[in-house]
Amino acid sequence: MKHLKSINAKAERLAQAADGGDTEVVMMQTVVAGCTATFDPGWEVDPFGGVAALCQPMEADLYGCSDPCWWPAQVPDTINTYPDWNADAPSAERDWRLLQTVFPGDSK
Amino acid sequence: MVNGMKRAVLAAGVAAVALTGAFAAQAKDILLTGAKPNLLVVADAESRKVIHSWTLPGGGSPFAVVPSPDGKIAYVVTNRWEQILGIEIDTGKQVFQANLSMPEKNERVKAMLAVDISPDGREIAVFESPVRMFNDHYEVQPTRVTFYPTDGGMNARPVRSWEAPRRTAQMMYNKAGDKLYLVSWNVQVHDPKTGTLLETHALADWTLENSTPPDVFGVWAQFETSGLYVNPYFAMRTDSAPDNPETYRTGMVQIDLETGAFKTTDFEATSGIIFSAASNPVRRNEAYGVYTQLYKIDLDKGETVKKIDLPHTYYTVNVSSDGSELYVGGTMDDIGVYDTKTFEKIGSIDLPSGNDMGTAWVRVVQR
Repeated sequence: MKHLKSINAKAERLAQAADGGDTEVVMMQTVVAGCTATFDPGWEVDPFGGVAALCQPMEADLYGCSDPCWWPAQVPDTINTYPDWNADAPSAERDWRLLQTVFPGDSK
Repeated sequence: MVNGMKRAVLAAGVAAVALTGAFAAQAKDILLTGAKPNLLVVADAESRKVIHSWTLPGGGSPFAVVPSPDGKIAYVVTNRWEQILGIEIDTGKQVFQANLSMPEKNERVKAMLAVDISPDGREIAVFESPVRMFNDHYEVQPTRVTFYPTDGGMNARPVRSWEAPRRTAQMMYNKAGDKLYLVSWNVQVHDPKTGTLLETHALADWTLENSTPPDVFGVWAQFETSGLYVNPYFAMRTDSAPDNPETYRTGMVQIDLETGAFKTTDFEATSGIIFSAASNPVRRNEAYGVYTQLYKIDLDKGETVKKIDLPHTYYTVNVSSDGSELYVGGTMDDIGVYDTKTFEKIGSIDLPSGNDMGTAWVRVVQR
């Protein structure tokens, strides 16, 4: 951790845990925990280990996650890097076919 | 039928109305929300119709929508969260603009979720996350609350600013306007004129026995009709086995914006996700939570009293000024209207554009 500096309270707690020798390891491979632990939006599990508590349909949640940079690894963030990613697709359910994959060179 | 229902609720709620003076007998509710790409949507609750879809300048998308106390202007956080625009609700004319970023300081500033207007309508308080951007590196700056005068016109400049806790997700004035609540890890109460920290209500630092700290998520402001701020929290009991469903607890944070009373109420073993909540202006013990299901919660008894499945996920729920109707919105292109007593779906307000509301707030303005 010596090259990383905590800038928020959660990171500070992680740093404190590491410095304090808290070495408890929780096995995470067996379940996809939450929407930021998968690279394919819509294919995560809910807090109960199922899918019933996910957004229904996943398109309802797509822009709620890309606008606030909620799924930064899975959906291009429209708040900073790819502001026009969904400019031609104002309805995720209706227009999803127009959404494209992006690459670093596409950013502004 | 809906009018009849409203009259019945009015009659039943006379005492509460007399106490709060919150609405006139013929009050008419106007709903405000945003939609992609950069629309301010104005709907008439009674006729279930969108009456205006004003196109805002810039690239969108609208998130926070804050009505002025006189119900004439909507202040909208939009354009990648870097601008607050003031729009006349009835004409669509832009009368206010605050550019949060400061190019002269190489500072990009985002309005991060929390924003409110003072009860006298003179100032907008916004929670800002600034980053100084240099050619070779970025410098994250302390988060802060900044105040803009509403008479600042098209180039409004900040009048005050001070540091505020990172992760402040919601912010609201009390009714008197002399306190500003910042909901973050804990709830801080600031004097909006001086920045003095008046008090702190513990959330992450609560000392509730046999409980983890709560996770508080809601980022939608929807307390204007009741004056009672409610926001769901999730926590775990530490004296109960992880495989026991009773271990996982859902509760409600409550702040009375008139009296300042702060309370947390555990109401169920977590049975689903609730994104945001609102409370009833007439039956003040009643709160509603929304996500893929719609919840009715009795805050006095601490229990879920009703739960139904919704046609799809919604992020927001707001309550009519007479307490009879719920408006569930956000995500897609429809606002579902539900009876607060029966949870029967009694209408739908469909956005003519068919465009997503996404994270936009749904606010209620009384006319």
